[in-house]
Amino acid sequence: MSYMELKNVTYRYPLAEQDALKNINYHFEQGKLYGIIGENGGGKTTFCDLMKGLIPSFYGGDLTGEVFIKGKEIRDWESSELASSIGYIFQNPFTQISGIKETVFEEIALGLENLGVEREEIIERVTNVVKQLKIEHLIKNNPNKLSGGQRQRVAFASIIAMETDILVIDEPTSQLDPKGTSDIFEIIHLLKEQGKTILLVEHKIDLIAEYADEVLVIKQGELITSGKTSEVFSNVELLNEGVNIPQIALLSNDMKEHGKPFETFAITKSQAREQILKKGSEKICQ
Amino acid sequence: MDETFINSYRSPQLSDNWLLNVNPLNKINIYVALGLITIFFQHWQVNVAITFLFVLLAIAAGRFKNFIGPFLKLGLVIGPFFFIVRAIFWPGENLIFNYGIINITQEGIDLGIQYATIMLVVCGILVLCTVTIKAEDLTYSLEQIGVPHNVSFMILSSLQLIIDLKDKTKVIMDSQRSRGIETEGNVFVRIKAFVPVLSPLFLGAISGAEEKTIAMDARAFSSANPNTHLRFLRPAPGMEKILVLAVDLLILGLIIMGVVL
Repeated sequence: MSYMELKNVTYRYPLAEQDALKNINYHFEQGKLYGIIGENGGGKTTFCDLMKGLIPSFYGGDLTGEVFIKGKEIRDWESSELASSIGYIFQNPFTQISGIKETVFEEIALGLENLGVEREEIIERVTNVVKQLKIEHLIKNNPNKLSGGQRQRVAFASIIAMETDILVIDEPTSQLDPKGTSDIFEIIHLLKEQGKTILLVEHKIDLIAEYADEVLVIKQGELITSGKTSEVFSNVELLNEGVNIPQIALLSNDMKEHGKPFETFAITKSQAREQILKKGSEKICQ
Repeated sequence: MDETFINSYRSPQLSDNWLLNVNPLNKINIYVALGLITIFFQHWQVNVAITFLFVLLAIAAGRFKNFIGPFLKLGLVIGPFFFIVRAIFWPGENLIFNYGIINITQEGIDLGIQYATIMLVVCGILVLCTVTIKAEDLTYSLEQIGVPHNVSFMILSSLQLIIDLKDKTKVIMDSQRSRGIETEGNVFVRIKAFVPVLSPLFLGAISGAEEKTIAMDARAFSSANPNTHLRFLRPAPGMEKILVLAVDLLILGLIIMGVVL
């Protein structure tokens, strides 16, 4: 049985004239990181809202087809059950802070308080998360006074502390500087290593190439292509669909077109470096 | 990692000051009970005495500096406003000055002083509450007596919203200033600069509300489980309960005496 599965899913927002998602079918396996990419306004965030259970319960609208999370249809989940199974982190670091807590430590504990976790366990779990995410220096700070990058890390910490198996992460770095982006991807890497199932919407395509096991490309509500990351990005025709391709994948494609292909199609810097070292950089550059 | 800080959550939240450690609801009880005296003893001298008592309480709590600024700002606006409204419009037999609708009488001035000093007491209660009670401690105490969690969240969010709106106003005003728009000067210049801020400010707040709802949903806010608290307060000690009861009885006695006599 799939860990999560979508069967013929179509969704239309209330009062909308077009479907936001059209006949989506996919199954997700446990412990994998899925990159979701595509043009702006193509339906990526709607897809995240669906997987988080916000559709149709929060937004309303017409949902047809079936969405199974851990074998249970999404309409049968209680909102609180979903919160303890699926974590959700989104773009805006400023609205993810509750605004009612005086310290970062208390902010991270909020979800656990809501779940009714006992105080001693809260302290233990929050302490562990703070260590994992290397934000020990922030715990006494007021969360409302943090920078965007720091707030986003606290938002991650708050969700990680809830120990959800699935994480839906919607453009977590869109408002962050390069340092903040790098910090967030370090956390995502850590979560992947912990065996979490992650659905990640991200425009920084080189990072998706580096971290995602599989990629889903959504355009105008349709899943136009999907599969293993290396396979999806080796199809440069995607550029015609308005989808960015990693620079290294374009380089691999150029090499192929010039009759000097890499042994295997490289999509990340480390893969390309490995290939170049293998063949000898001088030979490649001839 | 600051273990002392983390361990502080294993014990009730206490400060070094006895008044700050009084249960928030008990503090409110004492402040409001003192304020009630003004209703039953209608003498401005009583109101001034109670206001002075609030200043002493702020000193006792080690919060005088936090108290006096906001108190003067609030009291010096509201108090004189009530005085002027009563003093120049209130009818009376002992006319002092009359011009058109302006009608200054001795009765109006007396009543104005009475109302202005009552307002000082009200401002004193409000400011004293804000400087001696942490909002989170108040909501914790409310939840302990059965107030639903979502109500206490609303109270805390509303208080935070005021701070957020103030911060956002500053950001928008700063960005306007950087574009060369005059934001400093007389009251008309300030109003002219402030009015265009309102729509982005409130539209931003409304759009942020949806995201905040989703963020809170992700934090299991709608969980059916009874929630727990990381921060907690000590149960009110016996002496504190006796003190509150004594204050209440004393004030009740004074009110009864005042009404009877």
